Amino acid sequence: MEKMTAPPPNMAASPLPPPDPCFVLRGAQSAVHALHFFGGAQGQVHPLLLSGSLSGLVHIWSLQTRRAVATLDGHGGQCVTWLQTLPQGRQLLSQGRDLKLCLWDLAEGRNTVVDSVPLESMGFCRSSILAGGQERWMLAMPGRGNDEVQILEMPSKTSVCTLKPEADAKPGMPMCLELWQADSSPRPLLLAGYEDGSVALWDVSERKVCSRVACHTEPVMGFDFDSQKARGVSGSAEKALAVWSLDEQQALQVCRTHELTNPGIADVKIRPDRKILATAGWDHRVRVFHWRTMKPLAVLSFHSATIHCVAFATDGLLAAGSGDQRISIWSLYPISTDSSTPLLGHTEGGEVGAHASA
Amino acid sequence: MAVFDTPEEAFGALRPVCVQLTKTQTVENVEHLQAQLQAVSDSALQELQQYILFPLRFTLKTPGPKRERLIQSVVECLTFVLSSTCVKEQVLLQELFSEISACLYSPKSQKPAAVSEELKLAVIQGLSTLMHSAYGDILLAFYEPSILPRLGFAVSLLLDLAEQEKSKQIKIAALKCLQVLLFQCDCQDHPRSLDELEQKQLGDLFASFLPGISMALARVITGDFKQGHGIIVSSLKTFYKTVSFIMADEQLERISKVQPKPAVEHRVAELMVHREAKWVKNTSDKLTILIKKIIECVSGHPHWKVRLALIELVEALLLKCSQSLVGSAGPLLKALVGLVNDESPEVQAQCSKVLRHFADQKVVVGNRAFADILSENLHSLATSLPRLMSSQDDQGKFSTLSLLLGYLKLLGPRVNFVLNSVTHLQRLSKALIQVLELDVTDIKVVEERCWNSGPLGASETAATQPRSPMQRRYFRFFTDERLFLLLQQVCQLLGFYGDVYLLIDHFMELYRESVVYRKQAAMILNELVAGAAGLEVENLHENHIKTSTEELREIVTSILEEYTSQENWYLTTCIESEEVGEELTMKQSGLQAITSGAHTCQVTSFPAFSKPSPTICSMNSNIWQICIQLEGIGRFAYALGKDFRLLLMTALYPVLEKAGDQTLLISQAATSAMMDICHTCGYYSLQHLINQNSDYLVNGISLNLRHLSLHPHTPKVLEVMLWNSDASLLPLVADVVQDVLATLDQFYDKRAASFVGVLHALLAALAQWFPDTDDLRQLQGESAGEAGSHLSQRPAASEKGLENTTTAEDMELFLLNYLKEKDVADGNVSDFDNEEEEQSDPPKVDESDTGPDVEPPLPVQIQIATDVMERCIHMLSDKNLKIRLKVLDVLNLCVVVLQSHKNQLLPLAHRAWPPLVHRLTNDDPLVVLRAFKVLRTLGGKCGDFLRSRFCKDILPKLAGSLVTQAPVSARAGPVYSHTLAFKLQLAVLQGLGPLCERLDLGDSDLNKVADACLIYLSAKQPMKLQEAARS
Repeated sequence: MEKMTAPPPNMAASPLPPPDPCFVLRGAQSAVHALHFFGGAQGQVHPLLLSGSLSGLVHIWSLQTRRAVATLDGHGGQCVTWLQTLPQGRQLLSQGRDLKLCLWDLAEGRNTVVDSVPLESMGFCRSSILAGGQERWMLAMPGRGNDEVQILEMPSKTSVCTLKPEADAKPGMPMCLELWQADSSPRPLLLAGYEDGSVALWDVSERKVCSRVACHTEPVMGFDFDSQKARGVSGSAEKALAVWSLDEQQALQVCRTHELTNPGIADVKIRPDRKILATAGWDHRVRVFHWRTMKPLAVLSFHSATIHCVAFATDGLLAAGSGDQRISIWSLYPISTDSSTPLLGHTEGGEVGAHASA
Repeated sequence: MAVFDTPEEAFGALRPVCVQLTKTQTVENVEHLQAQLQAVSDSALQELQQYILFPLRFTLKTPGPKRERLIQSVVECLTFVLSSTCVKEQVLLQELFSEISACLYSPKSQKPAAVSEELKLAVIQGLSTLMHSAYGDILLAFYEPSILPRLGFAVSLLLDLAEQEKSKQIKIAALKCLQVLLFQCDCQDHPRSLDELEQKQLGDLFASFLPGISMALARVITGDFKQGHGIIVSSLKTFYKTVSFIMADEQLERISKVQPKPAVEHRVAELMVHREAKWVKNTSDKLTILIKKIIECVSGHPHWKVRLALIELVEALLLKCSQSLVGSAGPLLKALVGLVNDESPEVQAQCSKVLRHFADQKVVVGNRAFADILSENLHSLATSLPRLMSSQDDQGKFSTLSLLLGYLKLLGPRVNFVLNSVTHLQRLSKALIQVLELDVTDIKVVEERCWNSGPLGASETAATQPRSPMQRRYFRFFTDERLFLLLQQVCQLLGFYGDVYLLIDHFMELYRESVVYRKQAAMILNELVAGAAGLEVENLHENHIKTSTEELREIVTSILEEYTSQENWYLTTCIESEEVGEELTMKQSGLQAITSGAHTCQVTSFPAFSKPSPTICSMNSNIWQICIQLEGIGRFAYALGKDFRLLLMTALYPVLEKAGDQTLLISQAATSAMMDICHTCGYYSLQHLINQNSDYLVNGISLNLRHLSLHPHTPKVLEVMLWNSDASLLPLVADVVQDVLATLDQFYDKRAASFVGVLHALLAALAQWFPDTDDLRQLQGESAGEAGSHLSQRPAASEKGLENTTTAEDMELFLLNYLKEKDVADGNVSDFDNEEEEQSDPPKVDESDTGPDVEPPLPVQIQIATDVMERCIHMLSDKNLKIRLKVLDVLNLCVVVLQSHKNQLLPLAHRAWPPLVHRLTNDDPLVVLRAFKVLRTLGGKCGDFLRSRFCKDILPKLAGSLVTQAPVSARAGPVYSHTLAFKLQLAVLQGLGPLCERLDLGDSDLNKVADACLIYLSAKQPMKLQEAARS
């Protein structure tokens, strides 16, 4: 990481300016804590971007007009920490710190709460869903106990189980969750990052931890998992990213860690095409890495406050939401239809003008 | 006179007269007969027709020389009889025909007899009436081959008359009569329309005369211009009626290959013509020559009725003889097309009508031959266009371009055949580009400046106007405004019918290719898009599919991208003073700023513009280019309508940037482009437009601020935006102001001037958006004028007279206060160098929102003003005079905005004090003047706070300078009132009074003031100063 801290002189003299955001969405009027792209469905050419703010509002932005088209107010002024749309229908799940998960109906211009699930944890943990095309879907959310994760079957809201670590483990609170399903087996699995910096893989149906690995010394703030490569990346309050993998025996192991210049990663997201990943830094910067090699590609500096969340759209657009109340939209390394094009081939030339600064 | 209704009565009355006439053939007798005839009813006359005609015919037939006068009256009488009766017998008709036409027969020559004009006229009328009076069946029977010689005689007679006579009346009558003879009369009472067979028979008959008729008429038509339009019009009519009858495709189709055996004697049969293919071809070749001649001669005829007749000719021939006269189609179409843009509205309308009719009937598109001919014509025109454009004069260019326009109209979607040929497209575009070259030598374009930085000039009412007028351009190769309109239409039609992608690509390439083409190409592109959208284009081709909005938007987006790209949008249009800021302070002369060193940085940043030092011409050219591009944006807005809203996020920023441009022309063009946008996108006014889209603007501003060296005009945009928006914008403004301040801190030394402008706009806006109740008045007063405002504001104070009204208590109080504060002030203010310390202070911006528990958060505008004032303090001692002046203005406004938040204002005022004192005491008089204004405001808003400082730091010097200046002004002449020193004296004298009052000064200081002012009450001082001193 030494390379990143001191930009080589030829880099500074590079004719290519550091990348700018395509555009910036203003008007959230409070810090942005959650972002989610929602688009393409029902013949819409331009996707929508959903953002959740500290003041409890969810804004729906049209990426075509770059303006908010609607505002949802359902969390009584409490911070919205997580947003997720369901694959079927135009339904949105929003998690707020008012201890409520709201299910919104967004079809045909409606924006009403159709259902809500009470939360029992005051933590920062974002929930996760596992939904195929079917009517029923699964929701993982922080449970009543300090270190518990609760699994619900939706939309009936029946509790499937509560995942509680063994008494001697003491991993602390869950910080982030991801439900997924391997292609090979129908058993739902849950990845959870804990307060003590460890990441655990749960077998939901057997309610037991398959594997657990300590990735960080500080709480895991965010991670993303690439189920195809069986590899994940996590960020924490410390100055490092951890890349870990899952072998056939469903054992987690840390592959490598990646030193950063400044501590604090609030969110990590891998782009849907699994080429690059972006981190939301407390140092006001978004960092972009090559996912396979973890080579740093760009440091995106625009915001003037902590970045709370990043999100990728299916077409590759990157959004970053920050404490400065702005959402910046970036277009980097456009997804080529020809997947064989090596990504690093043109990054070497500095197409994005990777600028690294402390 | 009695009227004889019955034949018997009439016979009784007429008999003696007729007998008399038969016996002695005199004019009197004929007139007598005619007089009697007046009294006979038509029905009676019909019965007696033969009887009455007999003496008349007898008179004509009597051998021996006759007096012309007699013949004339006989013919007139005959005419009268025939006009009231019908000829029911074929023999009679034939005989009468021969007898009347023989009246003009002279045995000696081929020409008509040399008789009086009256007689000729009478004969012509007689013939005409005879033909009208014949019964339909009889008339048809009359036209049999055997009549050919006699008919031929009459026809040639009439032609001769039409050609040779001097009298207009005779000529026209002869032509009319010819039409009657040839069955082409357009009067009402003519026999029913002919069936096909009859038509064919007549056609066969008349075909013999065609060469004679056509040639004679062509001679008449192409004859002297002076012969009057009536003759040409009726010759043209006769010509096309005859030709279109004889050469009608309908008839010719039916002609059998073999000539039928004519049932007439051999001599006549020789005269007959068989209209078989060969004949048709020969005749048509010959006619083509004639038609060409006619068109050549007539299309430029000064009288519009003639041109109108030409259109009729073209219409008739093209509609009826499109196959037989295929060789003439080219010239005919050309003639028609050339008249599309005729000066006369009637001709234009008729021409368009005919074109539309053709299009409806698919005469052109449905007919391969025609389309080929048109394409051919267009091809050749395109080929010769560049040459024509460079060689012709304005009038010539006008007709050439009219022709081009007409072809495009007529060809419609088939234009693409021509455009698809690379060479022709190149030719066409070369010609357009060449002719559209602008004259860029006018220096005024470069010189004209707009200095006002207020809200954009255009008023709200202007938004309701449909379309803002275009700026006047001067072209190198023509001066006629109409030519430009034509060129516009040509481009629009190309855009409408042509393959838009092909054209846009082609002209975009030209646009990129060279600076020389760029302006013209942009003009053409603008019109192409307007045309593609179907603006101002009348569609003659119903089934033509317009470019879809989606496609159009794509096109516009790509053009916009090109227009607003770095190298095409940011061109050197003036010698920028900002770049040479430092030198300017030394030299202060605008001219000296033109140094090569000042431009090195510009040249590197605009690589497209490779000349080392911009010449006037190139700057003029750049200005025009920007104007054209701006105008293009306006046109695109029209083309897309409401859809343009989506493009505002990229287009509005550059336009607004140019609206703030210093060059008058550019800022006008930008403003009118914005008006166009307002109008098409449904905004009431510029303010509305800017307000509604400020998020897009702020986005652009904040991103560009990150690369200020690449986008040096960014602050300008913000400035324009601020001038034109309202308080609803505050959250967005607050957002971007943080960026501005951060950038200012970064480029503090280089680009302070433009930022100070923004800050000024910002504070002015804030002061306007959040006015304090008593503050509004103040602000208005200040903006109304520098001097004299206080005189009008404080009449009460001036009425009181001298300020010696202070009481002893006041004095005492002041002394106490003074002593008390003296020490404090000493400690605080002695150090002028503390500016440096303050510069290293971290800006308070970031901390302010982190501590919510300290105080309720300040209103955003106060926060902004505080931040700005902070910067102002640093910049008060800038090296550049202009910046210092501007900063003082900003400071003034800061104080106004902050007046109600003393907790923020006072510490800042404290910090601002030392540099301000410096400005007041040791600076350029201009600055002193401005600083004094700030002082007055400051004094007004935080009086107590300033009192001791004022007395200590400023008063002595002010008073001193007043005293020392007093003798100067006392001695000075009238010119003195225009000097800076005078203005300064005046301002100080005027301001001092209110200031002292607001500061509640103590008596000793007041005495100082009074002492200084007293001198100015001397009569030797200029009047104004005296008045000011009294306050």
